Amino acid sequence: MNELGKIYQLLIPVGGHTMVFNLDAIIMSWLVIIILIVFGFFAARKKAMLPGSLQLMGELIVSKLFQLTEDALDEKLAPKYAPLIAATFMFMLLCNWIGMIPHLSEPTKDLNTPLSMGILGFVIAHHAGIKAKGFKVYAKAYFEPVFFMMPLNLIGEMAKIISISFRLFGNIMGGSIIILVVSYLVYNILLPPLLLAFFGLFVGAIQAFVFTMLTVVYISVQVK
Amino acid sequence: MAYDVQTWINLAAYVGGGLAMGLGAVGAAIGEGYTAAQANEALGQNPEMSGDVFKSMLVGQAIAESASIFALVIAILLLFVNPSAPSAITASSLFGAGLCMGLGAIGSGVGSGIPGGQACLGIVRQPAAAGKLTTNMLIGSAVCQTPAIFAMVVALVLIFIDYSNAPLFPTWAALIGAGLSMGLSAIGSGMGGGFAAGASCEGIARQPESAANVTTTMLVGQAVSQTPAIFGLLISFVLMFKSHEASTTLSASMALLGAGICMGFGGIGPGIGNGMAAEGAVRWVARNMSHAGELMRIMLVGQAVSQSTAIYAMVISLVLIFVL
Repeated sequence: MNELGKIYQLLIPVGGHTMVFNLDAIIMSWLVIIILIVFGFFAARKKAMLPGSLQLMGELIVSKLFQLTEDALDEKLAPKYAPLIAATFMFMLLCNWIGMIPHLSEPTKDLNTPLSMGILGFVIAHHAGIKAKGFKVYAKAYFEPVFFMMPLNLIGEMAKIISISFRLFGNIMGGSIIILVVSYLVYNILLPPLLLAFFGLFVGAIQAFVFTMLTVVYISVQVK
Repeated sequence: MAYDVQTWINLAAYVGGGLAMGLGAVGAAIGEGYTAAQANEALGQNPEMSGDVFKSMLVGQAIAESASIFALVIAILLLFVNPSAPSAITASSLFGAGLCMGLGAIGSGVGSGIPGGQACLGIVRQPAAAGKLTTNMLIGSAVCQTPAIFAMVVALVLIFIDYSNAPLFPTWAALIGAGLSMGLSAIGSGMGGGFAAGASCEGIARQPESAANVTTTMLVGQAVSQTPAIFGLLISFVLMFKSHEASTTLSASMALLGAGICMGFGGIGPGIGNGMAAEGAVRWVARNMSHAGELMRIMLVGQAVSQSTAIYAMVISLVLIFVL
């Protein structure tokens, strides 16, 4: 049971401070990025009217996510934000699924990955809001309903980052802890594959989707 | 009467195990009863479909049961656990684990029974949409389990992580506080997620073409109604993994215990309230598909306001932990 809560870290001292690198998360997210780039390259290499299997898969993912973005935003903004949304979904999905392969681990199990994606979405949403409404209208929203609610409104906005990233982190890390403990208790017999199917495939896909949808609606709340 | 450490640990483990299973049995039974009640109503409306209704009732109940199965696992672990480094803190961590899992299973049990019941009614109302309804019910009630899963994670961490090097005061209070924070705050979120999932099954039965929109709105609504449970998880993690300074005064311990209680109770209401907002939005997305985007936006803004009370609770908890 010693693996519970263990993190492999690389410590590099730089001028009195120590830089900490969580190796698992970094290597695994680069692996996911490389897989996605290779997939994108091969899916788009031979574009044809009669699509091959890879192109079909790519088109399916992209068109569904484009549709979702269009529903939440509108036709004018959708082309701008759809690539971001599609990339977020595919990255998150693969991040959540990669842990099912033995010896690999989910980068989303490390809080840093969901947190950085959450901050990314937050900054983009607020940038979109300022651009769409102008800074005055944007800033005025914080002083409603009365001006002294400003600090609480600010904390409320910050809490969005916490909730979006901890939701993903809690689900994925929770799943992996439950799988670890149950596998240990039943001596790896029978149950672990079923748990992997539920927590890895099913919960992983749903949480990737929820993360993506929340990023879209945060943008749409700011823009409208 | 002076007891040795082992006696205290056994005492805490047995009481914790009893609490885990006893409290954990509450929610799932209510949820399953609700499913059965709706199935009976559905049967009364159309007795010819008894086979389908019976099947989906059993599936719905099986999922609602999983919250109490989590509690059963934790209870059995607590009864037979053999801590590697027994110390006085182990007693409080085992008690906290039992409390956390027992309370945490209540909400998810009640919540995940609701979509099962609505799916039974929906199958009778719209037999052609049975496939879509079953898929939606499975997704909805599985997402309802998230707060119970969080509670199970906190309970497992409390059972298996070794705290014997931490100072007894105030760590004992922090560990029980962690259990209370996660367990209590999971109650509201579990129920709230169930409201949204139930409304989505009803909506798909009313308007099967809207299934994709309804499921998306349901997932977003459920995700936001789980936010109080996520705040509870955050406070639990801070309480469990922050290294607390040794302090023999009672106030330091009570501040940490109070932080857990504050976040726990503070999360119940917003979870239920957010679920109601999501329920309304999901129901009306099915009736008025062309305005799904607007409905979702208003739902989110409303939920953000109803959530603010959970945020106040989180702020006070963090102040209790870090400032006092």
